[in-house]
Amino acid sequence: MSGEKLLEVSNLKQHFKTGRHSVVKAVDGVSFDIYQGETFGLVGESGCGKSTTGRSIIRLYNATDGDVKFKGVDVHGTKSHAQLKMFNRKMQMIFQDPYASLNPRMTVLDIIAEGLDIHGLTSSSQERKARVQELLETVGLNKEHANRYPHEFSGGQRQRIGIARALAVDPEFIIADEPISALDVSIQAQVVNLLKDLQKKHGYTYLFIAHDLSMVKYISDRIGVMYFGKIVELADSDELYKNPLHPYTKSLLSAIPLPDPDYERSRTRVPYDPSQLDSSEEPEFREVQPKHWVLCTTKEFEAYKQEIKQ
Amino acid sequence: MENILEVKNLHVSFDTHGGEVTAVRGVSFDLKKGETLAIVGESGSGKSVTTRAIARLIPSPPGRIKEGEILFNGKDLAKLKEKQMQQIRGKDISTIFQDPMTSLNPTMKIGKQIMEGLMKHQKMDRSLAKKKAIELLDLVGLPDAKERVDQYPHQFSGGQRQRVVIAIALACNPQILIADEPTTALDVTIQAQILELMKDIQRKTESSIIFITHDLGVVANVADRVAVMYAGKIVEIGTVDEIFYNPKHPYTWGLLGSMPTLDNEEESLVAIPGSPPDMLQPPKGDAFAPRNEYALEIDNELDPPMFKVSDTHYAATWLLHEYAPKVEPPAAVKKRMKGFGNTGASPISKKGDD
Repeated sequence: MSGEKLLEVSNLKQHFKTGRHSVVKAVDGVSFDIYQGETFGLVGESGCGKSTTGRSIIRLYNATDGDVKFKGVDVHGTKSHAQLKMFNRKMQMIFQDPYASLNPRMTVLDIIAEGLDIHGLTSSSQERKARVQELLETVGLNKEHANRYPHEFSGGQRQRIGIARALAVDPEFIIADEPISALDVSIQAQVVNLLKDLQKKHGYTYLFIAHDLSMVKYISDRIGVMYFGKIVELADSDELYKNPLHPYTKSLLSAIPLPDPDYERSRTRVPYDPSQLDSSEEPEFREVQPKHWVLCTTKEFEAYKQEIKQ
Repeated sequence: MENILEVKNLHVSFDTHGGEVTAVRGVSFDLKKGETLAIVGESGSGKSVTTRAIARLIPSPPGRIKEGEILFNGKDLAKLKEKQMQQIRGKDISTIFQDPMTSLNPTMKIGKQIMEGLMKHQKMDRSLAKKKAIELLDLVGLPDAKERVDQYPHQFSGGQRQRVVIAIALACNPQILIADEPTTALDVTIQAQILELMKDIQRKTESSIIFITHDLGVVANVADRVAVMYAGKIVEIGTVDEIFYNPKHPYTWGLLGSMPTLDNEEESLVAIPGSPPDMLQPPKGDAFAPRNEYALEIDNELDPPMFKVSDTHYAATWLLHEYAPKVEPPAAVKKRMKGFGNTGASPISKKGDD
């Protein structure tokens, strides 16, 4: 990690109108930074807005409010065609469902090369093919696979194709939206190892969105925990697991079953009860300890400070 | 404890255009009264097919039970006619399916869906069955059961629907409950609630549970015994402590190694290379050999038999043969074992005996 901010998200809001008078506040004021070369994990239960956050960052949705800055440039502001293209190249996405995210009528060659074509990165069809074959080998597939169709691959292999497609245009920042949750355990490890190796080699920065907390802990440098459209806690991944402060984080951590029968026999789950929170004022995002942020009121802020000292 | 179910040398195949898919190839295990047996394995390992065969839910054609016995209280379920099986299914053996979104009928009130089994098997009349349905909804922890019994599935959340599915499965006090990935579609906090519910109900009703999952964390939480399946066979079976703290089969090592623990940081996960074999043409010898870095030459020729590790622990790997070279499990797996005073060198874990 070089300590340079690659992405700055401030007060991002994404509201969806679901009727004349009803609005779903999927993301409701989220702020965080992602540094060059790090992996930032975003966890939470389904419906908490973690995927929407990812999709708003990459402009798949137009944000309702707030800023997203990539290398200091506003992502959501109006841009010329050329600017937009450049931005799209630097930021790529890996999707959750390896079955739905690949066009079944296109060959793997065309799927991976689509980005190359749009951005005009190759000058001849030979070069295009060579680049795709190189990418296939990078992600652990064979170059002979280029002429096949998605249905000829298993889930893990398809996810590798999705990764190769994201890598094709030489991005800096990759949003991985639950890239492994549709895969078998043994295959999950293959894909996670691949993502880690690629990061080591090429210095990619990841936003890793998932609900499997043990995998997120394993891959991320820092983790943000989302609940109802807000980040309730943000810290280095070790710190978050050792000293969770927000009651929701505690509850979430206590609910993960671990592959260890002795631990499981003694584990007690802490249910989350939002009514226990201090409601005397609107909670704010505060830094309880360097690099450890919690959404809390002034009263809770003092209590958390005490808690962490112990 | 007495066995409530004995599966002996079960073979299940599906006839497809491409040929015969041998989904289950000789599975044997027993289930004791009041215990939870977890079956783990990758998709396509035959774990769901095995349990569906027990409940006789394999559509035929294309599927068929080729060979083997399924002894339930001494009766061979594999030989029963569909009419006879209907007397057992839903009454003595019931199933909780993976997806609560699709396993309920969207056009029927949930009360009616629970009452169906009660009226058929227990010959209850409508009002009695409804009363029992409300009791069941209470039992599975659904608030306001009286009002909710007249609601439709779309008015419930995913976790609530799974509770309804569990209520249906429990309606006739089954002796065996087959849970086919009941929590895979749910969030961790909801999953924790459902698992607690199932354990609680088991304590009250003393039913036996066959729990299918690929999440080893869930296995550690619910199981008394664990069967690991690969390519249509059980490759290792033992008590939950034996499987987690003294695993013997390289595939079990692979599964354990591919799960991150909360304290392994820098080392990379032990992924199992490759992907499962095509069951249209199951490989000769040990089906796991091509993905197994510990494979011996004999693995390519001959499928290993079950070797006995302890009275409750068996594994099908040639590594346990007396002439086999001594092989240490990978570091990531050994670490798990070490944490519990087991160096991995001792042949039999004593932990599971208590």
